[in-house]
Amino acid sequence: MNKKDADVIVIGGGIIGTAITYQLSKRGKKVLLIEKNDLCSGTTGACDAYITPHTKAAGFSLDLCIKSQEVWKDLEEELDADLEYEHNCGGLQVCQNQTEFDLVSDNSEKLKAGGLEVHMLDIEEARKIEPALSEKLRGALYCPSAGQVNPFKTTFAYMKAAKRNGAEFKNHTAVTGIIRDGEKVVGVNTDKGDYYADAVVNAAGAWGGEIAKLAGYDFEILPRRGQLIVSEPVKPIIHTTMQTGNYMVIKHHPELITDERVKRLGIGYCIEQTDDGSIIIGFTREFVGFDKSTTLESIEGIIETAIQHIPELADIHFIRTFSGFRPYSPDNKPYLGPVDGAPGFYMAAGHEGDGIALSAITGVVLAEMIVDGNTSFDMDSFSPNRIFNK
Amino acid sequence: MDRNVIICRCQEVTYGEILDAIADGATTVDGVKKRTRAGMGLCQGKTCQRRVQQIIASQTGQKPEDVLPATYRVPVRPIRMGVIGGNKDE
Ligand SMILES: Cc1cc2nc3c(=O)[nH]c(=O)nc-3n(C[C@H](O)[C@H](O)[C@H](O)COP(=O)(O)OP(=O)(O)OC[C@H]3O[C@@H](n4cnc5c(N)ncnc54)[C@H](O)[C@@H]3O)c2cc1C
Ligand code: FES
Repeated sequence: MNKKDADVIVIGGGIIGTAITYQLSKRGKKVLLIEKNDLCSGTTGACDAYITPHTKAAGFSLDLCIKSQEVWKDLEEELDADLEYEHNCGGLQVCQNQTEFDLVSDNSEKLKAGGLEVHMLDIEEARKIEPALSEKLRGALYCPSAGQVNPFKTTFAYMKAAKRNGAEFKNHTAVTGIIRDGEKVVGVNTDKGDYYADAVVNAAGAWGGEIAKLAGYDFEILPRRGQLIVSEPVKPIIHTTMQTGNYMVIKHHPELITDERVKRLGIGYCIEQTDDGSIIIGFTREFVGFDKSTTLESIEGIIETAIQHIPELADIHFIRTFSGFRPYSPDNKPYLGPVDGAPGFYMAAGHEGDGIALSAITGVVLAEMIVDGNTSFDMDSFSPNRIFNK
Repeated sequence: MDRNVIICRCQEVTYGEILDAIADGATTVDGVKKRTRAGMGLCQGKTCQRRVQQIIASQTGQKPEDVLPATYRVPVRPIRMGVIGGNKDE
């Protein structure tokens, strides 16, 4: 029998991997997290930070987000850290014209039926919540329970709390193989040596497909690039989180888009202002492999839409652009749970543009699966084993 | 050096906070930036990056030139958004 380095090995030091590590360590497990670069060096270090239930598809995804918000609510206290968490800053999905407004209205009915409080507002009402909005817009969907958070602070806070519980972190260590004993997964090969444990969790985000391949599985997880722009710090002008009315179409049904540039680059618009005054504006949704560059055409497109929505942005300077890779799965749902035929191997990857929001609940359910063998609510819809039924 | 000395003026990050970030596992300028925001300010690290590099070097025993600098991000200088996005109202 091999030596054992930990009860559980977690691959990937983004918000998902650190959340799972913390939740497992809280339940008494000895955890070893292995990260190729540094914590937050993947998508968690290059994204927005909305916790917005109204951008989730009504049904399982919405339910999961609402469950996640319940965990988020007490997290600052539990981790004993400031996460810049704003529970009820509210979210607006802003519509430029009647077509968008009708589309978003339809979706608002589904969200309401799913148990979420949302309201359709004319532009005059929307401007009472967000006075910076242009009066030329049509209106907005308003979700009072939308929030935001600081993903860096959350990831490092999870790490610190997990370390207090005895978890170990190996940065600059790349997983290169999955060690099996018969069917069972019992450890990982890395560029720094082999490590053994009773269970291995794949939390490698957009790289989760590569890790699964090492175990012999073909999970389709693709990097979906998103470009973002950061402004100089300015006085508070944006209070909620916002995105365009076509957000859901770009995310879930890009094939329905007619505008050529929007279709090619998946250009949409979202905006938030962080605690230090910087405004973060996005976004694109592009399949270009792991190419981290930002492009002038996309930056122009994003800023153009942003100024149409918030005219006073025209006089504010932007100081940085960057891009990140959403871990995209073809059915827009993360793979969460044990994998048939590989006892001890768990997937926790493929959160696309929802990984920050869903990190809190992902940590809890993976820990429940590994420690108790079942979860406090039905997670079947997210089971990785759905790939075998295709 | 006193822990309270400000190293990144734009974000008001102190020497002590940078030492804590390195103790926390940061070995590159980006690593310090992600933990402290040093280098994320208006000047985008033009003023503080070299000092951060030196502090990492002295704490980790690397040569300053071997410490990975921050990832380069467009634009080089702050740009007014109206210039790029075209203010349709003008
Ligand atoms: C532009 C943009 C905007 C977004 N906005 C939001 C938002 O508003 N709200 C929201 O909820 N989500 C948002 N997201 C999505 C969110 O950022 C991701 O879903 C989330 O960060 C994924 O976290 P993760 O931990 O799974 O992945 P990551 O943070 O990428 O972590 C995976 C880690 O695995 C490591 N790794 C890879 N290969 C190996 C290996 N072989 N060995 C060891 N380690 C390895 C990587 O280095 C990386 O650190 C956005 C994403 C983008 C790109
Ligand atoms: S001094 Fe650090 S960003 Fe300007």
